[in-house]
Amino acid sequence: MQTHKYDVVIVGAGGAGMRAALESSTRTRTAVLTKLYPTRSHTGAAQGGMCAALANVEEDNWEWHTFDTVKGGDYLVDQDAAEIMCREAIDAVIDLEKMGLPFNRTPEGKIDQRRFGGHTRNHGEAAVRRSCFAADRTGHMILQTLYQNCVKQGVEFFNEFYVLDLLMNTGADGVEHAAGVVAYELATGEIHVFQAKSVVFATGGTGKVFKTTSNAHTLTGDGMGVAFRRGIPLEDMEFFQFHPTGLAGLGILLSEAARGEGGILRNADGERFMERYAPTIKDLAPRDIVARSMANEVREGRGAGPNKDYVLLDLTHLEPAHIDAKLPDITEFARTYLGVEPYTEPVPVYPTAHYAMGGVPTNVETEVLRNNTDVVPGLYAAGEVACVSVHGSNRLGTNSLLDINVFGRRAGIAAAEYAANAAWVELPSNPASLVDGMVEGIRGRESGERVADLRRELQETMDRNVQVFRTEGSMKEALGVIDELKERYANVVVQDKGRRYNTDLLEAVELGFLIELAEVITLGALARKESRGGHFREDYEARDDVNFMRHTMAYRAPLAGEGFGAESALFADEVRLDYKPVTVTRYQPMERKY
Amino acid sequence: MSATTSETNYHAGPDAVSAKTSRYRRVSKGRGNFELWSWVFMRGSGVLLLVLVFGHLFVNLMLGEGIHGVDFAFVAGKWASPFWQTWDLLMLWLAEVHGFNGVRTIINDYTEKDSTRWVLKGLLVASAVLVLVLGTLVIFTFDPCVDPSSTLSVCTGR
Amino acid sequence: MTATVEAKTEGTEGKVGAVPTFTVTLRIARYDPEVDSEQHWESYQVTAHATDRVLDALHQIKWEQDGSLSFRRSCAHGVCGSDAMRINGKNRLACKTLIKDVNPDKPITVEPIKGLPVEKDLIVDMEPFFDAYREVMPFLITTGNEPTRERIQSQQDRDRFDDTTKCILCAACTTSCPVFWNDGQYFGPAAIVNAHRFIFDSRDEGGSQRLEVLNDKEGVWRCRTTFNCTDACPRGIQVTQAIQEVKRALLTSRF
Repeated sequence: MQTHKYDVVIVGAGGAGMRAALESSTRTRTAVLTKLYPTRSHTGAAQGGMCAALANVEEDNWEWHTFDTVKGGDYLVDQDAAEIMCREAIDAVIDLEKMGLPFNRTPEGKIDQRRFGGHTRNHGEAAVRRSCFAADRTGHMILQTLYQNCVKQGVEFFNEFYVLDLLMNTGADGVEHAAGVVAYELATGEIHVFQAKSVVFATGGTGKVFKTTSNAHTLTGDGMGVAFRRGIPLEDMEFFQFHPTGLAGLGILLSEAARGEGGILRNADGERFMERYAPTIKDLAPRDIVARSMANEVREGRGAGPNKDYVLLDLTHLEPAHIDAKLPDITEFARTYLGVEPYTEPVPVYPTAHYAMGGVPTNVETEVLRNNTDVVPGLYAAGEVACVSVHGSNRLGTNSLLDINVFGRRAGIAAAEYAANAAWVELPSNPASLVDGMVEGIRGRESGERVADLRRELQETMDRNVQVFRTEGSMKEALGVIDELKERYANVVVQDKGRRYNTDLLEAVELGFLIELAEVITLGALARKESRGGHFREDYEARDDVNFMRHTMAYRAPLAGEGFGAESALFADEVRLDYKPVTVTRYQPMERKY
Repeated sequence: MSATTSETNYHAGPDAVSAKTSRYRRVSKGRGNFELWSWVFMRGSGVLLLVLVFGHLFVNLMLGEGIHGVDFAFVAGKWASPFWQTWDLLMLWLAEVHGFNGVRTIINDYTEKDSTRWVLKGLLVASAVLVLVLGTLVIFTFDPCVDPSSTLSVCTGR
Repeated sequence: MTATVEAKTEGTEGKVGAVPTFTVTLRIARYDPEVDSEQHWESYQVTAHATDRVLDALHQIKWEQDGSLSFRRSCAHGVCGSDAMRINGKNRLACKTLIKDVNPDKPITVEPIKGLPVEKDLIVDMEPFFDAYREVMPFLITTGNEPTRERIQSQQDRDRFDDTTKCILCAACTTSCPVFWNDGQYFGPAAIVNAHRFIFDSRDEGGSQRLEVLNDKEGVWRCRTTFNCTDACPRGIQVTQAIQEVKRALLTSRF
């Protein structure tokens, strides 16, 4: 075991983590831990753009952007946070440009902007050109640009260090503080303890609880799981976004920019069905509405293909040159993976699990909340792992790239400034005991079940029962499977008993987080007897502002680090649900029509 | 380990894991324009050699009686002229240096150990120097009348 | 030790439109420094669909046959650059290579990318690769006061370096280069591509510094224009052309 000491430790090197690192590393001694290499992070898969009311091509202002964000999130958005995000969006985009990001340009040489789902002029009048983009590789450019600037600043990275535990201890004020993290070094199997004054979680999402997902294999909710096991609540986990246009059967993302550039969704009859569901902005309605409409078309027998199980994204009326200039990558995906030529044929698409709106609750300073009001000193979170909540019950397209830049920056500054003034919190005794027990417990087991089998069962039940359409019955079925998997997880076995690059072991640990989070998602969804944003209950189809205009907060009994052994139970017997009020500033809830 | 955060230090700070095998560790190399000029030379000499070699072949093989006319007297006649002396000298030097540089490149590309590289390059330099010195000497010190019984006109006229 | 293969099509039983399945053999270079003294080959049979990628086959092996098989992967659709490997002797991304496109009638060989130290199975040490990348100063260098708004750049100027912004640092190009294989001292195509991305960016003022770096003994002049890098690039970047443009910039001092 090795011990390291840094003022700030950032966990995760995607957009939020590196944006935080750029701020924090100029102010104080900072380490960035990532279970991948920084440039492998899933920020790089984001395509369409990053919205900011620059008004480079038409009239716009950040207040309209705020309204769209609040309405898009079906009024579950904390409006103070949304205001901050949309106001700081403009600087966030300009900052990236100054760091070197190669945005597409207008004829005057300014940053070009295009339409995107749910982004409108003057509170819903018509679609507005607000998304700043670099072809359909905006996320790639953001990730590369941030990494380039980290290289420039000499940010210290610990690549392929998998953080498995958050250390907390009682500080001088008698309150639990963040004290550091414990990481497993993939290359050697060695355990490293990082003592830190501030810890920033920027570990991304948990798309792999579902089978069909646009998310990377590595998006297994580690950060959320680690925090949850240490007694930090999780907020609004039942809200999961299903992106309308995943490549059918594969889930690979085709950006909303395809529709922003003029692409049209059609059913088997060739009908532009979105005209029926969202007469004003049609195919550019928010993602939850489009995804549900697509699923409904398929359910009612109007799906295309031999099994009538997908709809079609039609780009054939667009000029090939226009497609090449604005959507080169996604048309390449269609060709590579489905053998479909988008110039001449419509592309088969179906909703794919895309984004966790919920996560570790934070305030607008990115400080992590231990309950509805109190923060954990020294603990910060930003990006998809966090729930500020700027996305409410449904995130608008492009707002995730915005979220990571605005709140990643805030987290870096806040963590560094806190570390500059705070005293060191002592590490708990035997800081590595939990990770040691967990890892050696799995490695030492001689016989049992395969990780892949359990994971498949989990993903299949989540896809079948907790996806776009949910009912009490379907979710109880899912919970039954999850309960069983929790028990069977105690028997998972890995074939690789070695120490070097033991990715077999890594997948077993990841599965633990997936099971844990699937339960929180499903329990939250079962308790929320209404439909709102990404959460749609067929048995409660209406939004219920009287009873559910509030955030879900899920708690579990924290694991005790000391004395944790190979036989100790990892999962809690019970997840307790509580609620937190929504912050409303300017916009009272209205019916959500597009 | 300490983080280098100075903005002017463009070379990255220490990473957690560095290359473990020395063979793969990048070692800082000297700067300078040598490789640039060597690259330019290869292109320039290549073009010139095309002219020189084909001119040479044309004169020797096509003009007059062609290959049947090439004998000691023919060579002697050519090298009596400063024009052909310069032509052949240029051809010799350009071809040898071009070839030398090409083989140097191949040695650089294909040898894995520094010791092998030095041995091969030593042999290469030696052979190049030998050819250049001998060739140059021949061109300038060539005596058509080295045979006292020569009947060549340049000799008999003496 | 290759097993002979019968990659026969088992027909499209079941529903109309079902994807045909076939059996395919993968011959994988295995090496675990904890037990092996050297690399060896092992063969595995998997059942694949026409839409499956080599990564799916590797997953099938890892998840159903041999959990100790180690490789890197993340996004699984060719944008993160984790899973560059040598498939049938060519550098490709496993997640972007359909099995049906690499002649499944014969065993498909899978090896780690060449020229970097093998750590385990298909995993190599990427640090030498990133060292070369960092040396070319792959970031925007500007002087003077920053403008309050964005820097102005025409779409035309933006297009000059568009191709090289696509790089995902997967190392497929660099490790396909015979010059790099030799001693790993050559900067390699990827580093040059990332230098190119800034040298030709009209906003950047560090071009001559970067050119000086690439004028090194191990710089662009070691390129032999074999086009292996261009063939290997999973993003379709015209790598060799980018290297030639850097050479031209060095000769003419115009960029």
